[in-house]
Amino acid sequence: MRRKASLVLLACAVFFAALSPLLRWYAFPRLAKIPANQYQDMVLVAKNATLLDYGTMTAKKVPQVTIVQTLKGNVAAAKRIEKTAGRDVVVWDGLSYVQGPDGKMVSEIPERYIFDAHSQEPVHATGEMVDGDPVARDGIEFKFPFLTEKRDYEYFDAQTRTTNPIHYKGTQTFRGVKVYYFEQTIPWTKVPMPKKLPVQGITAESVAKTGTTRWYTTVRRFWVEPATGAPVYGEEIHKEELRGGTLLGGRAKVTAFAGDVKMREDYIESTVALVKHNRTLVLMLTSYLPWGFLSLGIALLALSLYLEARSRRPADPEQVDSSVPEPVSV
Amino acid sequence: MRALIAAATGLVLAVVLVVTISALGSPDGKTSPKPLLTTVPSHP
Repeated sequence: MRRKASLVLLACAVFFAALSPLLRWYAFPRLAKIPANQYQDMVLVAKNATLLDYGTMTAKKVPQVTIVQTLKGNVAAAKRIEKTAGRDVVVWDGLSYVQGPDGKMVSEIPERYIFDAHSQEPVHATGEMVDGDPVARDGIEFKFPFLTEKRDYEYFDAQTRTTNPIHYKGTQTFRGVKVYYFEQTIPWTKVPMPKKLPVQGITAESVAKTGTTRWYTTVRRFWVEPATGAPVYGEEIHKEELRGGTLLGGRAKVTAFAGDVKMREDYIESTVALVKHNRTLVLMLTSYLPWGFLSLGIALLALSLYLEARSRRPADPEQVDSSVPEPVSV
Repeated sequence: MRALIAAATGLVLAVVLVVTISALGSPDGKTSPKPLLTTVPSHP
């Protein structure tokens, strides 16, 4: 009976011990992925910003500029691209909608970001674009990979349509969450005019004819929760200028936008709560369950060996009957 | 020999379970009907 029990325990011990590395290095890379149908919005605000008045072509101080960023997973497009890419793909159709203090549109820039659902590595396919211009991203955007490392990453900048390093600058705690802080600086770079401008009759083409160009610089900061790779907070010190051309009436340059863009407080709170929840799910597969199963496997193996040893112990010797008379020697 | 069979059984069961769960994955779902926003939402 003990023998049978020790064999069953041995099978269970191997089962749980094997589950530990299988969960961490086989199941996790396959199960951890961005859902193809994810929908997410984010509101960022720049208080006391500088904004160009297109009517007078002068820069003005305004109390607040709001940026609404929406990302919407396009499931049909993802399935179509998966057929040729041969891997799980996510297609995010995004819109960055900028609203002035009067509630009117300042600019709106659509983009399509296609990436590997597991690694966040960019995938190139027809339709990948920023503001209607075809692009080929070489780096990540919006989100970092699962199990983010303490190193620099390549990050795509939608304004310049270029990929540049985003530097790991240290580990911090943000509202009770351990985060990695990343920073990227984009130096003054000539960038395309948005296709949609706030004044009717003025288009990117008509501005180009005047010889006026648009320049941009930013310092981008992300506080990233490393297990999920999700930024819990982000901000940008963002500046835009129009330079040269007849549109400025002889001036060399005019500020089109300048402001410190930060996530709105209620969105910070909801993002932190969401990331804390998702972090637990990731840690279940990468840490809690693998270590738990390994410990259980070792405990069951020890119990199995103990029972096996007990079953092999020799039985107690039989008692000698002393009443039997000894033979008498002659 | 019986110990070896027991250990192999445990290992095979673990592999089958993990491979099956990984293969099932999660459903893709459908594209959200919600629009790309051009108004400022009052709350998340």
